[in-house]
Amino acid sequence: MELQFTQDEQAFRAEVRNYLLANVPERIRTAVYQEQPLPRAWTVEAQRILNRAGYAVPHWPLEWGGRDWSAVKRAILAEEIDRNAVPKPLAFNVALVGPVIAAFGSEAQKRRFLPAIANLDLWFCQGFSEPNAGSDLASLKTSAVREGDAYRVNGQKIWTTYAHEADWIFCLVRTSQEARKQQGISFLLIDLATPGIEVRPIRSIDGFHHLNEVHFDNVLVSADNLVGEEGKGWDYARYLLGQERTSMGNVGFTRRRLDRVRALAEQASGEHGAQLIDDPAFRRRLTWAEIELKALEITQMRVVASAPVQGIDPKTSILKTEGGELLQRAAELLIDTLGPGALTAGFPEASEDALFDGLDARSGIVSAYFSSRKYSIFGGSNEIQRNILAGSVLRLGRPS
Amino acid sequence: MNFDPSEEQILLADMAGRLLASHATQTVRDPAAEWRDCLDQGLIGLPFTEAQGGFDGGPEEVMIVMEAMGRHLSQAPYLQSVLLAGRTLALAGADEALTGLLAVGARHALALFEPGQRYRWDAPATRAEPTAEGWTISGAKVAVLDHDGETVLLCPAATPRGLGLFLIPPGTSNVLLAIQPTPDGRHATDVTLDAVTLPPEAAIGDPARNRAILAEAVDGAILGACAEMVGAMEQLLAITVDYLNVRQQFGAVIGSFQALQHRAADMLIAIERARSIMIYAASMMEAPEARRSVAVAAAKALVNRSARFVGQQAIQLHGGMGLASDYPAGRYFQRLTVLGMLFGDTDHQRAVVAAGGGWAG
Repeated sequence: MELQFTQDEQAFRAEVRNYLLANVPERIRTAVYQEQPLPRAWTVEAQRILNRAGYAVPHWPLEWGGRDWSAVKRAILAEEIDRNAVPKPLAFNVALVGPVIAAFGSEAQKRRFLPAIANLDLWFCQGFSEPNAGSDLASLKTSAVREGDAYRVNGQKIWTTYAHEADWIFCLVRTSQEARKQQGISFLLIDLATPGIEVRPIRSIDGFHHLNEVHFDNVLVSADNLVGEEGKGWDYARYLLGQERTSMGNVGFTRRRLDRVRALAEQASGEHGAQLIDDPAFRRRLTWAEIELKALEITQMRVVASAPVQGIDPKTSILKTEGGELLQRAAELLIDTLGPGALTAGFPEASEDALFDGLDARSGIVSAYFSSRKYSIFGGSNEIQRNILAGSVLRLGRPS
Repeated sequence: MNFDPSEEQILLADMAGRLLASHATQTVRDPAAEWRDCLDQGLIGLPFTEAQGGFDGGPEEVMIVMEAMGRHLSQAPYLQSVLLAGRTLALAGADEALTGLLAVGARHALALFEPGQRYRWDAPATRAEPTAEGWTISGAKVAVLDHDGETVLLCPAATPRGLGLFLIPPGTSNVLLAIQPTPDGRHATDVTLDAVTLPPEAAIGDPARNRAILAEAVDGAILGACAEMVGAMEQLLAITVDYLNVRQQFGAVIGSFQALQHRAADMLIAIERARSIMIYAASMMEAPEARRSVAVAAAKALVNRSARFVGQQAIQLHGGMGLASDYPAGRYFQRLTVLGMLFGDTDHQRAVVAAGGGWAG
């Protein structure tokens, strides 16, 4: 056992932090700290700064820009990015579609897409969920029918984050009807500029526009954009979900939020003349969150420091559940620091693409509370994660 | 970072596991025999330096042994005699008493708590007055785990020069013991000291350092208690899962019902959380006292909370069977409850952490 970070790991942390603080502009880090939505150009700018230092895709194969860093170091990197309010590398690019193309794509696809994905020259969004395929994703119906050297795509995706910002979408599509619904699904890359695609906005409860519906009406997609083999899409999607585990717990993000909660509570007035931090009930909640975050930090390191598991490591279900719930609790504490001021902190008008220009610095706190509800829903809801824990880890309902 | 045990640590876990399992299968447990086996196999000497006659085990080894104790519901007074009283002897330089513990397994017990002070132990009302022949001590101590008429009592007491530490041998006059069975099959004792006279050499340690000595020993014992609880929780979850996969109702094993599956998944989450915070505390044992004590309090708070949850869920999932005291689930629940009340309950420990301020950065 080596229960503390080694000197090498500590030096790496300092190196990362120094680079981030020296290279990522203050305006971007302030916006992230205040939890305001970023202009597209800022997200791109930040990822390119990370990519320059090898920080965008360290978990990729070496020949495509990966680094030979231990998983512990990659977890430290992810933690520092979040903690220092630097925009994370776009997950759809670096954590989801990139590794799938690297593992299953053709040489031509790798050359065409991987460098652009790493540098955010191409912005990908994820076309998985459909109106009737959420937790039961394998029930998806969007169809891709082969016609010569192209697929004709028809159907609808939903909850598509940043589809309105993206250049491309990676989709799970049904290429054949099979007895098992997990079969007959393929993994297709689609240029969003293709005729027949319509992106419709969904305004979120946080007041902003991140989510979309994406409609496909007789969209012709070159068969060159099929990743891997036809009918293997479900396997690739499972592979993708088991990828990068180093930031799954959102440890750095929650740390940043809780540090901010403490800072705000030391400023905010409580009742009877004291500061909010002196309020026993508030302090009790903050202390619990800090204790649980410390446990989560260790759980995150236990997951990444252990040997990789074939397929999906069930412990990642614990990380995702715990990490998401703690991030939500931190958001709750954050909005509670505002007291009655939460009502006048500002909230985006119903305009389609509101950015934070002109909004109070505290408005991000209010929006963050609402948007944080997503953490127990996306990527397999916490109930699905508990099903996985009960089934795959505890083997419940499967007597041996 | 690396959380995998070394080869020696794996061997230690195997040895401790086998030894304690052999006692766990006895129909009538014999704590004295278990204690003797711990002595024979070197477990008692584990957390002491070679110079003291021990085996140089650190927090990692303590965790390994205490998890095994928890898993097998050990009845040996290891937590009390070795981790709490034993380490106090070692830190106070009470070599003769320590030799007795390490060489022949002479049992010791530290009397930390007093009536009316709940979990505070650093300002005892028990007083020791110097006399021409040595000392006279009067006062009362409560809830001394694994203390009986054959145990040497380590007694903190206020002296004119500060916090004193006194060794009171078994059979000393004017020491009154009220021994009670604990819910987990051990015993704990309230002690009344009515002008007990002791020789000068009964005082150990140094009034200027005794508080820090006790704090270090207590923190080490709390880590041990956390590990014992983690071991017990894991075993209790395994027992519960087995039951869920066997017990049938409505024509199916009850483990196939999602409401029960999610309770069990939440138990697993709570246990992993507890294990992680325990590891954190272990990693902080060499830190300065202020940081160490907050880390240990954070661990005990979260392990306590997890233990209450896991214990209560296990009973619920066992239904009527969970209420039967001769069924294993209930015995683990009893052990977890006792350990949770030891050294500070959840609220106490959480308050210690809160007083530590922005500790976690």
